[in-house]
Amino acid sequence: MTVDFLFDSLVSLFPSWENTDPFLVISMLIPLVATFGFITVYALVVIYAELKVSSFIQDKVGPMGQGVGLHAGKWGLLQPIADALKLLSKEDIIPSSANKLLFILAPFMIFVGAFISFIALPFNGSIIVSDLNIGIFYILGVGSLAVIALILAGWSSNNKWSLYGGMRSAAQIISYEIPAGLSLIVVIMLAGSLNMQEIIIYQQGGISNWIIFDNPFMPIAFVVYFISALAETNRTPFDLPESESELVAGFVTEYSGMRYAFFFLSEYANMFVVSVVAVTGFLGGWQSPFSGSLDSPLMGVFWMLSKTAFLIFIMIWIRWTVPRLRVDQLMHLCWKVFLPIGLFNIFAVAIWTVLFG
Amino acid sequence: MGIIRGEEMVLNIGPQHPATHGVLRLQVRTDGEIVSSITPYIGYLHRCFEKHCESVTYEQVIPFTDRCDYLASMTMNFGYVVAMEEMLEIKVNDRVQHIRVVMAELQRIASHLLGLGAFGLDIGAFTPFLHMLRDRERILDLFEMTCGARLLYNYMWIGGLSHDLPVGFVESTYKFLDYFEPKIDEFVNLLVHNKIFVERTADIGVMPQDVAISYGVTGPNLRASGLKWDLRRDDPYSIYNKFEFEVPVGEGGKGSVGDCWDRFYVRVLEMKESIKIVRQALVSMPKDGDVHQSLPKKIKPPIGSIYKRTESPRGDLGYYIESDGSNIPYRLKMRSPAFTALSVIDEIAAGWLLSDVLAILGSLDIVLGEIDR
Amino acid sequence: MIKYFTDIWTSITTILGGMGITFIHLIRARQDNVTLQYPEERWPRPERNIGFDHDNYNVIRTRLHVDMDDCIGCLKCERACPVDCIKIVTEKAPERGSDIKEIKHVGVTTNGTRKAMVVTRFDIDMSECCYCNLCTYPCPEECIFMTGGPNSSRHPLDYEFSEPDRDNLIYKFAKSGTKEGLDKYIGEKSAES
Repeated sequence: MTVDFLFDSLVSLFPSWENTDPFLVISMLIPLVATFGFITVYALVVIYAELKVSSFIQDKVGPMGQGVGLHAGKWGLLQPIADALKLLSKEDIIPSSANKLLFILAPFMIFVGAFISFIALPFNGSIIVSDLNIGIFYILGVGSLAVIALILAGWSSNNKWSLYGGMRSAAQIISYEIPAGLSLIVVIMLAGSLNMQEIIIYQQGGISNWIIFDNPFMPIAFVVYFISALAETNRTPFDLPESESELVAGFVTEYSGMRYAFFFLSEYANMFVVSVVAVTGFLGGWQSPFSGSLDSPLMGVFWMLSKTAFLIFIMIWIRWTVPRLRVDQLMHLCWKVFLPIGLFNIFAVAIWTVLFG
Repeated sequence: MGIIRGEEMVLNIGPQHPATHGVLRLQVRTDGEIVSSITPYIGYLHRCFEKHCESVTYEQVIPFTDRCDYLASMTMNFGYVVAMEEMLEIKVNDRVQHIRVVMAELQRIASHLLGLGAFGLDIGAFTPFLHMLRDRERILDLFEMTCGARLLYNYMWIGGLSHDLPVGFVESTYKFLDYFEPKIDEFVNLLVHNKIFVERTADIGVMPQDVAISYGVTGPNLRASGLKWDLRRDDPYSIYNKFEFEVPVGEGGKGSVGDCWDRFYVRVLEMKESIKIVRQALVSMPKDGDVHQSLPKKIKPPIGSIYKRTESPRGDLGYYIESDGSNIPYRLKMRSPAFTALSVIDEIAAGWLLSDVLAILGSLDIVLGEIDR
Repeated sequence: MIKYFTDIWTSITTILGGMGITFIHLIRARQDNVTLQYPEERWPRPERNIGFDHDNYNVIRTRLHVDMDDCIGCLKCERACPVDCIKIVTEKAPERGSDIKEIKHVGVTTNGTRKAMVVTRFDIDMSECCYCNLCTYPCPEECIFMTGGPNSSRHPLDYEFSEPDRDNLIYKFAKSGTKEGLDKYIGEKSAES
């Protein structure tokens, strides 16, 4: 939608130009750069939030300091920037026995997987890079690209810990696609569309029309989706691929500097993507919770970002509360708990819709 | 295409690994995630403690005992001075005994706090670890108040103590205990009954009682297997027979007796018992008494030997001291409880998953400084 | 089947209970905070006042300091040290209890003991020191002590004594040139007589 809009406005601005191909490239590049900038800024904010929330939970103060100098700024606000600079300036090590090509490729692939998901994320009624008619399906699809990158990272490092991490992540992410998908199928059943905007427009009219409050089975679907999303983004309690006390650092053991930063960045970007999908599917997207008020386009962006921020906060909160699952318990939870619940939900919602809908 | 072979992979956990509690190398043979055998390699922290003791005088041994189990230095001092006092036939006065018991039990709480927190960290729970360290810090503050040092105290001397208690110590200790007791319950609610934690620890690494006894495992690990064996009760040294306390044993609260969860929970209960002992000792502590009263002028034990064991936070801590009549020990041998606890790991952890092995290792609560000496 | 559902139920309740505890910590962060902002805030130093006669003994384990004017060179601290980080060399003083101005040797200690020895070397390697405090007890003149606490009047406390060079951690309390000065002094003395 944004690409079309930019393209149309460029064409109307310069009607004398015959060849419109450069306009197309420019109108694609602008959202691309904007998205990249957004991810970077967002990652800095979330890293700071994670540092502070974890510190407060643990009765610490987190990064603190006065002024700029050697300190981390007022309330440690410069800490994420310092971290980023440190990662950028670190020596880039490639193990001598690693498969160089795949080792270099893996961080880019995982970032691409997270990055292209942003194309279909709606920020309000009109701000969406491309309003795909299969938006939610597309996000689920490209989200799975991360698996290949993680296996590549694990395998090409030629390190046993990395190998374990890569294998675990492959099993984990592929498994948890299924309950996440099953929960979203229920949403698609109700909204009758795979398009992100249409799912949001279906939930028009205040908090009571949100899909999560549509019928008594939807909160279950939401919880199942949310926990599966945690597993897909490798967050605690599902951080088995990089569990630091078992596998040292899992698939990122051999990575350093900028390449490590890419893994880090894509983890946080993935958190954002799954949160936006959850907000779109269950919490009314950019719709205001109060029917008919505070729903200007700008407030739409606000509602979208604040709901997403709330879900990300819950992810951080869970991370600093619970221990880590074991690999077989992870599978048990997926195949024996979430899958039956997800299937049951589909039938239950279908019957509910037929009877009361 | 060649024939696809399945073969075991040898994995070295350590010496630099976040879950090995020091510098320990575990050589594990793994088939996928399943571990088929574990061989611990020790000695990365070997400092010739026993040989070194043969060249320093008896009172100079005490700073070295500190450094064996650096998480429970007070009890390490305690075991040595109790052995030496029995050898020299010194009777110390009641105040010294009470102060020693208070210190040893506070140290037991501090040591268990770190052990429990680090175990939570092995499972993946980061927050309880820092909560535990926060409370341990207050105990270290009490120790700093008493003897100036926070970790390696050199506080108990043969025949007395290096210092009397400072003014306000008793009140501070009461304040700490009042603060700490609700924190245990909070910790239990946060971690111990957490379903994920229970799943990770219950029925994992079960140590049957006969295995524990035949390997010589002692302390909380043995009590978790169901045997009520505590030297403070069964072979009382110092004045432990004066105090009333329970000996908590593993009852298989969430799984079977002797699993990781039991080993964990026994330590939680022991902290509560230690609080009881500290409270009793503070009440019955005599107000006067010189802590230097029975310090011997010259320490020259008669020719002979002694073996004395005491209950350290990790189990039976034994000192075998052989004297040739001079002021330097002829031979000093320490029986390390963590060493025997580590030796059992292949027996109880083989066949489990890789994550479980590290959970079992954490539940044994080993300190490498004491194993390697 | 019942176990299956009770397991799910206990998982939900215990995890939510744990999250409740962490949330309380989160909102009480300002009250519960235990961090000291180190360079701005300092750790309070424990104070002591012991009732028995060793009331001047400090129990702060900081760096060692020696008042050379009071040291009589009895070597008791050197013998007490379990790690041999104290090295003392003494020379016989030409005259017991008299000052030697040339090498700034004070003949009588503050306790009134007349010195028979001149300490020409008194080195403490603080990088080897194990802070056991064993050297301070046997000192008859109480001239070796750990700085700070009750001794802060005698020497300012500093527990931050890290050095960029390891050699700087070898504290040389005897002034350099004491040996040569003493030899010269004795030589002059014998030449006079």
